[in-house]
Amino acid sequence: MLTKIGNKVGGLRNLLFLCALMLLALVLVLDIYAVDRILEPLGYFYIVFALLAIFYGIYPLYLSRRLTRYYWDRTKRHRLAVFGLVFIFFLVAVAIAGPFLTQDPTKVRFQEKNVPPVGFSITQSVYDVKTDTFSTVHIPGTWRHALGTDDKGRDMLAMLVSGARVSLQVGLLATLIAILIGTVLGVLSAYLGGWVDNALMRFTDVMMTFPFFLLLVFIIFIFGPSLTFVILAIGLTGWTGTARLVRSEALSLRTREFVMASRSLGASDSRIVFRHLIPNVLSSVIVITTLSIPGVILAESALSFIGLGDPTVTSWGVVLNAGQRTLDTAWWVAVEPGVMLFLTVLAFNFLGDGIRDAFDPRSQV
Amino acid sequence: MKKGGLQGYVIRRLLYAILIAWGVATCTFILLRVGPISPADKYLANMSARTADPSQVVAAVEARYGLDKPLYVQYFDWLSNLARGDWGWSFSTSMPVMELIQKHWIYSFQLILLSMLFSAILGILIGIYSAVKPYTKTDYLATFFSFIGISVPNFWLGIMLILVFSVQLGWFKTYYDTGLTLFSLANLKALVLPVITLGTGAMAGYTRYVRSAMLENLRKEFVRTARAKGLPERVVIGKHVFRNAILPIITIIMFDLSGVVFGGAYLTEIIFGIPGLGRISFNAVFASDYPVVITITLIGALIVLLTNLATDIVYTRLDPRIRYD
Repeated sequence: MLTKIGNKVGGLRNLLFLCALMLLALVLVLDIYAVDRILEPLGYFYIVFALLAIFYGIYPLYLSRRLTRYYWDRTKRHRLAVFGLVFIFFLVAVAIAGPFLTQDPTKVRFQEKNVPPVGFSITQSVYDVKTDTFSTVHIPGTWRHALGTDDKGRDMLAMLVSGARVSLQVGLLATLIAILIGTVLGVLSAYLGGWVDNALMRFTDVMMTFPFFLLLVFIIFIFGPSLTFVILAIGLTGWTGTARLVRSEALSLRTREFVMASRSLGASDSRIVFRHLIPNVLSSVIVITTLSIPGVILAESALSFIGLGDPTVTSWGVVLNAGQRTLDTAWWVAVEPGVMLFLTVLAFNFLGDGIRDAFDPRSQV
Repeated sequence: MKKGGLQGYVIRRLLYAILIAWGVATCTFILLRVGPISPADKYLANMSARTADPSQVVAAVEARYGLDKPLYVQYFDWLSNLARGDWGWSFSTSMPVMELIQKHWIYSFQLILLSMLFSAILGILIGIYSAVKPYTKTDYLATFFSFIGISVPNFWLGIMLILVFSVQLGWFKTYYDTGLTLFSLANLKALVLPVITLGTGAMAGYTRYVRSAMLENLRKEFVRTARAKGLPERVVIGKHVFRNAILPIITIIMFDLSGVVFGGAYLTEIIFGIPGLGRISFNAVFASDYPVVITITLIGALIVLLTNLATDIVYTRLDPRIRYD
């Protein structure tokens, strides 16, 4: 009985996945109408992300261990990709554990403002209230604030750690949404063809006509800035490239012999889509996922840089904005978040390049 | 190509562009209506505290902007206003949005034009050089820098340029001087840092594309034939390889316009205080100036639409192999 239903959606795994999703939807409905706050809004994204990763990432990789090892070996030969991966792991560790180890990133201490990072020192003229005079003081960096403080005395290290958390959250979740929408629309468009394909592709063209960042600003302007909305806005606008790529791949797959054979044996539409089309476009989807994360992270920090990010979270863009205002007194406030942002984007680009080469059988690593 | 094929293609492309423009206008309308805030609220935010009874003002504003009419009437009004060029009235500056745009577009235009020239010329030259001498030290250096150029966030690059060249060295002003006459040398100097800020990412991208496209074409058989014929290397590279490699790059440059250049220009204008359309839209966002934000988004989309159209049509002239029927 269970297997029978399972076959309708292309296997037991899909059925289990759909059941888990429905359970989550039920919790969401309860959350909205019955109980007060079971989960934070972002919590739902995380659970969907985890479910997807387990059912369609880790499990298939575990099933075909030999292929996984082959891909891993090919990625590993790209030394820069390994550097990227190590840096990303480091960043994830910082984002998860960091906030428990650092000071409060929002705590303002005016007595300790503009402290330079360890190893640097600045001379600053300070106003003394008691004597009503200006005096020139020499401020060295201290280990108490290893990366210095900003013009309000907030600890830079703590702010950077908080920023890492925001960037990774947005990077992963918004990319996930964009890739999901893109893959589903692309496969549907290619498989159904006809007027559905026509309508979906025209819609994609319309979305691609909007300049990406202007559309983001527009959406945030209308719906207001909160982390959830920023993630949704980036996710809901960034799927167009994926949809086109997946569509073209699925179109060429559709006419391949193994799909024809499957259909002539009487396979249902859903079986062909779930068993043949989706697994075969997955490698391109994985590559495009890795390569679109940096753009998403940049979009979030650009939004928060111009003041359209969530005002309640400390992201790298916010710190960078503060840094631009104090360039002449405290250069490190602008330099440090930018370096982090740059390294993160670089790491994802390296990793993406490595994975793309690994999945492309034509390339010589 | 059959008779009238090209003409028919151009007409079909034009009709398609109109369809997309309609789609863009409709999407914007839907977004506006789905949004939690009505233009009346935004207008009130602007006029706040000036009037005693807000409900009266809301009614007046809704009547003024036709928000009390049924939704389909609003939709048709919206489309016809856009088509007639009536793009609304800026709340915060009290002038027609179109007038505001006319006053400021030139600043964005000069920034985008100069940085596109900068990135295309330098990117193509470096790319060609790397491809002609592949796997040498210069090539590796170019690849390394292009990787950095692609990954460096452009708004951070801008701030770092200000930090080094304006704050530390004092070569440039930290802010774009709006008092300068356009098309003057002083104006050009003021645009040096913004152009580098906006152009570096694109330049790095083009370097890589040109390099790989050139290398791909260098392996083709017609190149071997050309060399076997005894043509000078300059002709082989310039006529046979470059001519074939440049076509996809034109598409990429045009495609960049929507994805990278507009967003980059928006940020660059904010960082350097250039009073272009991005800066206007940015001010409008924080002044809750509804019509200006909408108009600038729509103008961006319109420009992308027109460049796509132009690219497609220009392509028919550049590449005789493409068939359009």
